[in-house]
Amino acid sequence: MTSKSFVAALLALAAFAFQPATASGKEYILTSTKPNTLVLVDPAARKVARTYKIAGPGAPLGIAPSPDGRIAYVVTNHWGSVVGIDLDSGNEVFRADLSDGAIRARNMFGLEVSPDGKELFVMRSPVRLGQGEYEVQDVGIAVYRTDAGLKARPDRILPVPRRTTGLFMAPAGDKLYAVSWDIHTLDPKDGKVLKVDKVANWDRPNYGTPDVFGVWNQYEQAKMFVNPYFVARTDVAPTDPSAAKTGLLTLDFATGKVTMADFEDSAAIMFSSVVNPVRRNEVFSVYNTLTKTDIGTNRLVKRVTLPHTYYCLNISGDGKEVYVAGTVSDIGIYSTETLERIGEIRLPDDHDMGGTWIRMVQR
Amino acid sequence: MKHLKPINRKAAQVEQGAEAGTSGEVRVMQVVSGCTSTLDPGWEVDPFGGIAALCQPVEADLYGCSDPCWWPVQVPDTINTHPDWSAEVPSAPRDWRKLQSVYRKK
Repeated sequence: MTSKSFVAALLALAAFAFQPATASGKEYILTSTKPNTLVLVDPAARKVARTYKIAGPGAPLGIAPSPDGRIAYVVTNHWGSVVGIDLDSGNEVFRADLSDGAIRARNMFGLEVSPDGKELFVMRSPVRLGQGEYEVQDVGIAVYRTDAGLKARPDRILPVPRRTTGLFMAPAGDKLYAVSWDIHTLDPKDGKVLKVDKVANWDRPNYGTPDVFGVWNQYEQAKMFVNPYFVARTDVAPTDPSAAKTGLLTLDFATGKVTMADFEDSAAIMFSSVVNPVRRNEVFSVYNTLTKTDIGTNRLVKRVTLPHTYYCLNISGDGKEVYVAGTVSDIGIYSTETLERIGEIRLPDDHDMGGTWIRMVQR
Repeated sequence: MKHLKPINRKAAQVEQGAEAGTSGEVRVMQVVSGCTSTLDPGWEVDPFGGIAALCQPVEADLYGCSDPCWWPVQVPDTINTHPDWSAEVPSAPRDWRKLQSVYRKK
């Protein structure tokens, strides 16, 4: 090897070594534990790849990876701040403190990144601190530029109904879905309401108000929001087993289409769900059980008991494994085919996950 | 409200609001919208009248209940008034005995 080619080989090697991890396209899990620790997990290796200690108090809640998989935006500081953690360097590269003077503001669940990675949408619930009381202020979606640095201020505030907990963007970036009692489709530039799909305010005959509990964002694989709902029928006696129904609500991020369909007489609590990105009729839901539902036929396929409660879940890109998470300190891995527990990842020091999210990221 | 009896002033105001029809914003268990505004009976019986559908074990649910102020009576409000309640206890199943009762500051 000549010296010139040796140098060229060295340069090529150096370029490879410093190549951003995004190029490999390997799938990772992002979640968190107490105290204030972001956790990157390699699901194929069944082990934790890296942890990131976030400065300040509290524990992470919402987690939203940038589209290139390099930054994780994390709600922390007792839900009063959003920080951006560079997953390569571990450095904090973005910070937005939601409170300002006498205004104390918290993020209650809604968190989303635009598909181009340039903007961050943060649900913000403020109160004005009084002498002995809180004066409730209007809620809104604070929109930040992701290049705003460590003292980020909102670029704009979009008005949104109180109780909004879910924020999801269309893949084209032209629509922002805000899920509260109903689903509002907004123009992300100015918050103009483009469409409202009724959920709690539906007018379905012989049914009461559906009860929806959706506080996680875990829908990046199929790009479809899916959430269990529970509802009472009003045309049968309350003692009738069919008086309480469980169903699934879906929202396709690309088309904006919303569906709601019952699939069983209520027999189990389900906290959150995820759609299989490969077989899009398959939905998996979690709490004390893991439930597989066919939303093509609206039938329960299978239900298995879990070793303890899990709040949230996500799914591999190949549609073969679901990852159940939240509450204590393990991620349970289940086969989408059989619902058999095929693996487990213990998180560092057995620290609790609490209500955190579980996201999939390509790096 | 015929099955519930208010035992303090705030509870009486809730009852009066319900009777006067001025509490239209209140619905049970839609989503949490801030501390003390959640009416979410739980930790006693599940929706089916048993306990199997409560979180298992109860320690698994402690931080899912305290961090979002979900049950600010049963567990401390760690968003506003008692942010350090669980700061030294990152594992509730292992170290729940270290979690202490809290009292209103005088």
